[in-house]
Amino acid sequence: MALPDLELVERARGGDPEAFRELVVRHQRRVYAVALGIVKDRDLAWDVSQEAFVRVHQHLAEFREESSFTTWLHRITARVAIDLLRKERPGRRSDVADVPEAVLQEAAPGVLATALGTNPQETVLRHELSARLTEALGELPDLHRAILVLREMDGLSYEELSLRLGIPKGTVMSRLFHARKKMQALLAGYAGIDAPGRGAAP
Amino acid sequence: MRCAGAAPLLGSLPGELDPTEGALLGAHLATCEACRARLSDIEALSGLVQDGLRTEAARRDLSTFADGVMARIPASAWRGAPAGPLERLRAFLRRHRVLAAASAVAPALAALALYLYIGRTGGTGPSELSVEVTSEDLAAIVLDTIDGPVILVGESSEGT
Repeated sequence: MALPDLELVERARGGDPEAFRELVVRHQRRVYAVALGIVKDRDLAWDVSQEAFVRVHQHLAEFREESSFTTWLHRITARVAIDLLRKERPGRRSDVADVPEAVLQEAAPGVLATALGTNPQETVLRHELSARLTEALGELPDLHRAILVLREMDGLSYEELSLRLGIPKGTVMSRLFHARKKMQALLAGYAGIDAPGRGAAP
Repeated sequence: MRCAGAAPLLGSLPGELDPTEGALLGAHLATCEACRARLSDIEALSGLVQDGLRTEAARRDLSTFADGVMARIPASAWRGAPAGPLERLRAFLRRHRVLAAASAVAPALAALALYLYIGRTGGTGPSELSVEVTSEDLAAIVLDTIDGPVILVGESSEGT
């Protein structure tokens, strides 16, 4: 029977390498997914994920068990990924103005949800759009992408995003709105449902 | 509340908006079909982001990932490392405490058994050192004194 995370953490704190390895194996894929969503490059995502686990090990003694290990691990992953973005691409713009108004108007409200249908797990279109998701994320400005991924993958609140990214809560909300809007427009465009009335879902 | 004010609030987590904002948004959604449609899009997109990233991550071969992480952590961070022969023995004894305890008292028990055997068979040995039994670093010496047998247990000295 698999040991709970906290038991493995306790053993890893005591110097048990196999316990820590088990934590890595258990969480590596989700950590990689979050990192990939933020940095969008597969190799960078690999590096970010590894660095996150190394930092987790370095700070195991400071881990307070009021929060779940997963939450803590993802916070560290996000921090490493965002630090990397800032370091690697300091000149890139990440302002709300990066989203052209024309793009925002491409998709009519509700067209994406309608196209995906009421049983989204089984639609072919959903599968196709999932496969192109990272491509669409790559079109977003860095911080828009980070906000969207952290919100959707980790469920971070506006307050947490504000603290994590060092921007006001209102800016978080604004950027999240624009990131979503652009993603909807891009995905609708991929699916050929970018214009209202083009007949979205089969 | 108008659509321009409501749109950024759509997709908020429960309890994330202050009660006034929440009430205004609720009232707006009740009457605005476009914002209800926008909310549906947000929910659809949320599922897509999760599915898409998980699918992408599932395609990546992570079989060497954990090895890479472990290689970046200094060996000194782990208990028992680096392990020489003596440290391996100590680690073994720590893991097998019953065995270690048994090995500690074994010389004494062996000496006692031998003494009793000699006494029962009527053997007459030297008046002082009857027998010495050693195991690992421990030794037991049975002294046949005028007050009766005395068993001494202690570390053996090299060359004896």
